[in-house]
Amino acid sequence: MSESIGLLHADKRSPADAMRLFGGPALRAALAVALLGLPLVVAPSWLFTLGICFANSLGVLSVSMLVRYGGEVSIGHSVFAAAGAYTVAILEVRFGVPLWISLPLAVAVGALLGMAFAWPSRRLSGIYLAVTTMALALALPEIINAADAWTGGYEGLYVAQALLPAAPMGLQRYYVALLLLFAGVYALARLRESRQGMALLLARSHPAAADAFGTRRTWARLSAMAISAGIAGAAGASMAYASATVSPSGFTLWTAIFLLVGSVVSVYGLTLGRALLGGAFLTLVPQMLASSGAWIPIFYGCALLAVILVGHYAPKLRSLVERRGRGRSAP
Amino acid sequence: MTAPTLTASGLHLSFGGIRVLHDLDLEFRPGEITGLIGPNGAGKTSLFNCLTGAYRPEKGAILLGDRPLRGLPPAARAAHGIVRSFQTVALCPDLTVVENVMMGLARNHHAGWLDAFLPLPRGRRERAAMRTAATAALAEFGLVDAADRFPAQLPPGNQRLVEIARAIVGRPTVLLLDEPAAGLNDAETRDLTRVLQRLATPDLVMVVVEHDMDLVMGICDRIYVLNFGEFVACGTPAEVRTDPDVVRIYLGSDDD
Repeated sequence: MSESIGLLHADKRSPADAMRLFGGPALRAALAVALLGLPLVVAPSWLFTLGICFANSLGVLSVSMLVRYGGEVSIGHSVFAAAGAYTVAILEVRFGVPLWISLPLAVAVGALLGMAFAWPSRRLSGIYLAVTTMALALALPEIINAADAWTGGYEGLYVAQALLPAAPMGLQRYYVALLLLFAGVYALARLRESRQGMALLLARSHPAAADAFGTRRTWARLSAMAISAGIAGAAGASMAYASATVSPSGFTLWTAIFLLVGSVVSVYGLTLGRALLGGAFLTLVPQMLASSGAWIPIFYGCALLAVILVGHYAPKLRSLVERRGRGRSAP
Repeated sequence: MTAPTLTASGLHLSFGGIRVLHDLDLEFRPGEITGLIGPNGAGKTSLFNCLTGAYRPEKGAILLGDRPLRGLPPAARAAHGIVRSFQTVALCPDLTVVENVMMGLARNHHAGWLDAFLPLPRGRRERAAMRTAATAALAEFGLVDAADRFPAQLPPGNQRLVEIARAIVGRPTVLLLDEPAAGLNDAETRDLTRVLQRLATPDLVMVVVEHDMDLVMGICDRIYVLNFGEFVACGTPAEVRTDPDVVRIYLGSDDD
């Protein structure tokens, strides 16, 4: 996996090419405006689905962040998402704390859990780290069930408190999830421009060089994991609010695997469009295949294969077409 | 301000019973360019790795002035102003050229995590200041036009110059350059020579590992010669050039 990540970054692209690859600013702004206006044109039942799609997109973004900045793959991000979701749900149900207070706490709990995991595993990488994260995800549902006095056990908890008392709850669930996704994308765009973000990228590609210029590898590992887990915590909070419920069945090993699948489908992209692509693959494709009965896994597998192949070959096909176009226009 | 002298004494390093450095005593003085030469496998890069903390020698002391460095991790030594370039260019492919150079300033800046995620004035000021300094360092090598390109879009020689720009941009106390002229053409080597000579001031200890003998003999004030991890000779370029041991083991004798 690390090699493929390396190849992903080693292509000779100019900033203009990179912008084209991830969609220009105008395209991103148009997409954001369209999403903000979508409730005006779609049926209320779709708002619920789209809210969950945005929450999943944020979860996908958290996994992609770890790949891009930490060079590592996680099969356990459902744990950090669960930490955020249960923080919001427990604070609301047990203490009546509204989302605008519990959300930052959910991010902090996710980030702290990420650091707590990253410290003992700081010398692990590649498949060893991935399997370690998987172990967390495997154990999580049982841990949640065992702590049923707080978590509600198998039945879970209901998140019902409105953020704005006067506004319809369906719209609130949609816009909270969407604005959290916007915030996640924006924060990561800022991180890319920051000293810390650049140091993380250098530490991922050349740890010795990062060391030599004052960036400790342990700091880099802990920071990448904490940021990624913090975003996963926000995604969990978003899932809790958008779906109105939190239960162990929402945070199984499969949840973690599908977050990784979404990240692969989005080609580890950190832009709004890429994150939405991954989130839509997790949320909307199963919905569209819902009437296919026993064929669902087969169709889903085919769709996954098709998206990955298109993602892999599209840049090559584009450059081939461009080369041929230049060849024809040459005298 | 005069930089402290960097000294290594009684340095031993081995890997699995293979002796890499043996009882080395060296002194690198401020204001001088010290050359470190020797055949492949002589231990030059290993010595750099010991000085920067990437390797831990089994025995011996490393002092920056009076300050012992042994046991300090690489990042802590970087905080003391010890920086290096690498034998194989180590630029981040995801950062633009100017951003790679900006990383040479990272240890001097302290904007926090809030500045990293939010458009706060301190973070913006820091980035602007880093970019200005990095662009000035690139200008030393005539690479300002390449500032916003990615390293893979530059020829190998220019990539190496970018790496050296990253090393010098933070005004280090100790600058360790590992084969800085490898892959450079004549014009680029002349640019490099000019920059290195200008950097040779009392506020910098500069050590150069290099196989380009014309460059080494042309810019170095003193040269250490290593062979199989042992110290063979030390002196001015003229003294080293005529040292019979050096001529025999490294530069080649008239009989060859």
